[in-house]
Amino acid sequence: MAVMTYIDAINAALHEEMERDPNVFVIGEDVAKMGGAFKATKGLLEKFGNERVIDSPLAEGVIISSSIGAAMAGMRPVPEIQFVDFITPGIDAITQQAAKLRYRSAGTQTCPITVRVCYGGGVGGGLYHSQSNTSWFIHCPGLVVVAPSTPYDAKGLLKAAIRNDDPIMFFEHKKLYRSIKEEVPQEDYTVPLLKAAVRRKGTDLTAISYGYTLQLTLQAAEEVKKKHGAEIEVIDLRTLSPLDTDTFLESVAKTNRAVVVHEDNRTLGIGAEVAAVIAEQAFDCLDAPILRVTAPDVPLLPAAAELEHFCTVSVEKIVTAIERTLDH
Amino acid sequence: MATAAQYTETLPREGSQQLDPEVLRRLYTYMLKCRIVEERIRVLYRQGRFAGNYFAAVGQEATEVGTTIDLLPEDTVAPSHRNFVTNIMKGTPLTLLFAHIYGRETSPDQGRSAPAHCGYAPLNVITPSSTIAAQQNIGTGIALAYKMQRKPNVVVALTGEGATSLGFWHEAVNFAAVHKLPIIFVIENNGYAESVPVSLQSAVEDLSSKAAGYGIPGVTVDGNDVVAVYTAMREAIDRARSGGGATLLECKTYRWYGHSEIDPAKYRDPAEVEYWKSRDPIPAMEHYLTARNLWSDQWKKELTAEINREIDEAIAFAENSPKPKADEALDHVYSFSIRERELKRKVWSPRSQRGSSWR
Repeated sequence: MAVMTYIDAINAALHEEMERDPNVFVIGEDVAKMGGAFKATKGLLEKFGNERVIDSPLAEGVIISSSIGAAMAGMRPVPEIQFVDFITPGIDAITQQAAKLRYRSAGTQTCPITVRVCYGGGVGGGLYHSQSNTSWFIHCPGLVVVAPSTPYDAKGLLKAAIRNDDPIMFFEHKKLYRSIKEEVPQEDYTVPLLKAAVRRKGTDLTAISYGYTLQLTLQAAEEVKKKHGAEIEVIDLRTLSPLDTDTFLESVAKTNRAVVVHEDNRTLGIGAEVAAVIAEQAFDCLDAPILRVTAPDVPLLPAAAELEHFCTVSVEKIVTAIERTLDH
Repeated sequence: MATAAQYTETLPREGSQQLDPEVLRRLYTYMLKCRIVEERIRVLYRQGRFAGNYFAAVGQEATEVGTTIDLLPEDTVAPSHRNFVTNIMKGTPLTLLFAHIYGRETSPDQGRSAPAHCGYAPLNVITPSSTIAAQQNIGTGIALAYKMQRKPNVVVALTGEGATSLGFWHEAVNFAAVHKLPIIFVIENNGYAESVPVSLQSAVEDLSSKAAGYGIPGVTVDGNDVVAVYTAMREAIDRARSGGGATLLECKTYRWYGHSEIDPAKYRDPAEVEYWKSRDPIPAMEHYLTARNLWSDQWKKELTAEINREIDEAIAFAENSPKPKADEALDHVYSFSIRERELKRKVWSPRSQRGSSWR
């Protein structure tokens, strides 16, 4: 065990997977000599050389599509997109090629790629360094969308993703990179994909989130306990698509109340899907409407601190939603 | 588009590289086969025997054949919707190709992909999407893997001239050039992207001149001269196999029919169509072979009969093949099954007393 930040955990997973499997390689802007914009790929070039650690041209389309092709031919590419805000030139490759290749070839042609994407706001990054955009990919069958919230999961899920045979969008929140630390095993382990986790046991309300806002939700749960004595169960979705519905439905059946928290826009965010699933499959369990704590439906995120703060999920906003749901 | 006057009437042109007689006969045989197969598919479509649409490359056989014949099984072909017949050169059985057209269970895609979008994994034909320039990008990645794996394989990536307007296409060519990848980008310039003439796609006379911007060789050939196409392609393939990197090859040709079977192509001057039909690569090759004592009417008759027999068998195979079962639409989305998720939605009932407050 070692105390690691989230970014250390990502870096360790890449080192270990590249050691384990010579077919694993990384490609992206600034991933080689610079070690990545956030240093996720630090030390890889020195250890594995420039054939397996490729500084790509500034072209997200071919970063993804070259990975798709290489994966078809037996490699295990881990392309990096520096900011999800810049992923748009790669959208055809991801949604039309990677997501549909297995389907359109009836399982005979596949592309096991793990696209590492940095996402999220709250760092004053402005409109093009703050987006989440997870829903673009959640809405696309054939993709697995993963978004770890802790260093332990970051390492274990990344290793599981690289070994998985599906195209995976791996969302890493930039604010998590260096803000939290925890004990992470230095030996090999994986965390299962497609499985949510109960992060905090509770009986009175189910709060569902992922990524950075999962950490805020845990803080909100503690505050609600202090203020009201209520016990909030906190579910970390971990994989956003395909969604593990059983874990949160089981919880809502017990608590009868649900709040969903995410920092992406409200309309058709994961909260909409979670709320719809609860309404369809656990309507009789509910004692209160399901509330969502999300960004408003504006382009995310405006740069000035006042504007950014208005659009960003906070512990206070989550506490308020929980209180309203409990008081219903 | 290229002016008609620059072409001579006799094709292939005399003085082109002397090829082995067996190669010449094979080029002709495959062009004839592609023509007969596609004309038959067009008839089947008009008879309503399969659903959807078809995107014929009739008239373009010299390019289809010359660029994809004599590849190794390990080599990859990255086709567009217009390049269905490249499967024939690669060796995909005709039975499977017709099962694909008919959307049957026995098709390589088991009824998922629309007609003409056929790949074949055992022989490395990428199952195409309809989005333009996509396979060329994926092909670039396959070429990257071949290089990393120290394999001598090559990738042949085909697009129409319209694809060269997409940023995505340029990303692929540039990347392949930077990494000296074993790939040949074939631009099948048939004059029109659906209805839009090449003059509205690009201001350059020869699209191969774009290669200069990436630092790779660019060649333009008469895409109705199968010997010229084949010869240029051999050079490009040899370069790719020996580590010399990518080539951009433009083949100027013409699409006899519309973009698809529902397009009467009224945007074209009938005289232009007639001119290009007079440049039909198949009789031109007959002329060329005859001059070398390599062709006879009798041989053509025998070939035609043999091809038609094979097509009849393939159609019978397709028509007798089972249709996909409806719920197989749920298969092959992921490496794991989603059937349970989609078909069995459990309804949950309360675990605690209804109305009980947390307080």
